[in-house]
Amino acid sequence: MTESQKPAIEPSILPGGLIAPDQWKLPETSVRRSMKGGVRHLLDQLRAGISVEEEPFRSLDDLPLLSPSRRQRLAPEPDYSTLSESILTDLDASKSESSDPRSVAFLVAPPFSGFREALVRVPIVSGTRDNDDCEWRVLAPPDSLLMDDARARQWWDKQDLSQPWVIPELADFWLRHTSGLALVRELLRRISAGEAGQGIVGCSSWCWQFWQSYCPDMYLSPRCPAPLDATSLGRWLEGLACQSGDMVLTARMTHDGQYVLPLDDGKDGQKQKHSAFLRDLAATSRGIHGVALAIWQRSLRARPEDDADQKEEASREGNGPHCWVAPLEQLSFPIMPQSQGRSLGFVLHALLLHDGLDENSLTLVTGLWEHEVVHILARLSRADIVVRSESAPTWHVTALGYLTVRRHLQSWGFPVDGF
Amino acid sequence: MGDLGLKEAFASITSGAILNALLVVVVASAIIVAIQKVFPKLAGKVGGKPRLYLLALVPLLRLLIIVVTIVIVVPILIEPTFENMVAIFGALGLAIGFALKDYANSLIAGIVTLYEMPYRPGDWIEVDGQYGEVRSIGARTAEILTPDDSIVIIPHSRLWNALISNGNDGTDNLMCVAEFHLKPGHDVSAVLSLLRDVAFTCPMTRTWMPVSVVAANEPWGMRYRVKAYPLEPRDQFRFVTDLTARGARVLAAEGIGFTPYVVQGVS
Repeated sequence: MTESQKPAIEPSILPGGLIAPDQWKLPETSVRRSMKGGVRHLLDQLRAGISVEEEPFRSLDDLPLLSPSRRQRLAPEPDYSTLSESILTDLDASKSESSDPRSVAFLVAPPFSGFREALVRVPIVSGTRDNDDCEWRVLAPPDSLLMDDARARQWWDKQDLSQPWVIPELADFWLRHTSGLALVRELLRRISAGEAGQGIVGCSSWCWQFWQSYCPDMYLSPRCPAPLDATSLGRWLEGLACQSGDMVLTARMTHDGQYVLPLDDGKDGQKQKHSAFLRDLAATSRGIHGVALAIWQRSLRARPEDDADQKEEASREGNGPHCWVAPLEQLSFPIMPQSQGRSLGFVLHALLLHDGLDENSLTLVTGLWEHEVVHILARLSRADIVVRSESAPTWHVTALGYLTVRRHLQSWGFPVDGF
Repeated sequence: MGDLGLKEAFASITSGAILNALLVVVVASAIIVAIQKVFPKLAGKVGGKPRLYLLALVPLLRLLIIVVTIVIVVPILIEPTFENMVAIFGALGLAIGFALKDYANSLIAGIVTLYEMPYRPGDWIEVDGQYGEVRSIGARTAEILTPDDSIVIIPHSRLWNALISNGNDGTDNLMCVAEFHLKPGHDVSAVLSLLRDVAFTCPMTRTWMPVSVVAANEPWGMRYRVKAYPLEPRDQFRFVTDLTARGARVLAAEGIGFTPYVVQGVS
């Protein structure tokens, strides 16, 4: 990579580092855009029942989408090992700064932040770190989560907590059922009592919301990822594009040609006019990494002549890859199917609370009949709001569907996370 | 002034003026009817606070339209001089005082209702033993819909001397209570913990609102009351049913029995 091709500031995989949840703020956007969003949501609700059938995601412009391989090259998934290392470094730093370091670090992150994937890699990553002589172990949940307090105590007694341990996602350790709370309750008791050794607990913000209400006196001083603002989002996206190649990505708006990336002005010092796209994207995605990336991937466009000209132009001028970005207004996000009762909300809330569930567990925690759950999942799947995991028979809310799900759950009165 | 000056006041009324005034009244009535039909329908489509706001707008808009209509109609019919106003309001006062006292009482109470807001559309209230959701607030009466799908019409004049119990008071937070009457001889703290878990694991519970379980010793055993908030006030009966069913299942699994009957009035 030549000097001119490098981003001016080294991009961070975890921009803003880890912060206390009370410092978390929703990225700001223009009043016009906030109002537009609110009115759009209200109209969506009023329109429910008028539209004949919900439709899955579709693009509202005529420009061709990027090919999957090109999209993967320009906007790939982040390197979770690097994220894992960043988290460990940040935790080490906060431990050394704190006068009363906690032996168990609690990491609360909104869905799609990538913390589960990063924490799974802690044992491998920690082995490659120079100053880390700990052998971390991932704690996996038991097959059945339904047990009483005595059995939960026994289960935790059998776990070797004398060695550093990591729980990638606490939501895997409980079910919202009277017999499904014991494991987490016992773990939280042990952590508060200082009987849990050294560990890291990753916890979805929805799961955290529940347990915070369940144990109001619990004090675990959790940390959470800082929300992405326009600048940090731009740096992060630049970093992702650099991940798979050495070139700096240039992205411009399809409708006015203003620059989205790179954030810095051209190498000849020429001032580039930048679009407000990143600010709006940061606010729309609530500063959540995975949601921002999913929208970003959807907004990338190619011009028909791009593929032919791109390589030639790049090689001729020594420039990086180039692509176009459709305005957010031209993207159609998944639409919530209409529902008479609350069943849809029960299923979606349970999926977020547990960071994904299979049909049986959904039946158990929602109290719905199995056939109802299957019907609802089919409808939500058709609307691109949920998707079945490829590796396990569990259902998850999609990154693109998350925003509408959160908004609808909030307007239906469900408890929502604070992020 | 034997006729209170009404003759002079109405002397200038022409048939054209009457027609104009009538037209204004008809248009205003049509707008009011449209608002009363459309807004509750829209409110039915959205949940949470927007629903309450939309419902609460109905009586306010109606009052506004009525006031505007009066302001427009009076100058069309008569010249709004001081003498004419005294004549008209004097005659109205007499008529209301003798013939329409109760009606006027309710109308005035209706205006006070909009100001003091002892109940709003969307509130769950109990008046004289009738419990239900306020569906609409008219000029003279409020309509509540009971859980058994009956409409009860309550004159606003009840405001002056009746006890009005309001469950949610303009918010969407309505506490519900599920009662359990259990045989004595069990571990009370275990039951308190179990019933708290029942409330937290019910998918209809607002977990960020307080959940509490209280117990009382009764001659026939123990009475437990699980207090929690449903997602929306209109879910309250389903919510209490769900809490009761879940609680009964958990207690049965623990071998804790219900009392076969409760002796009323024994304390």
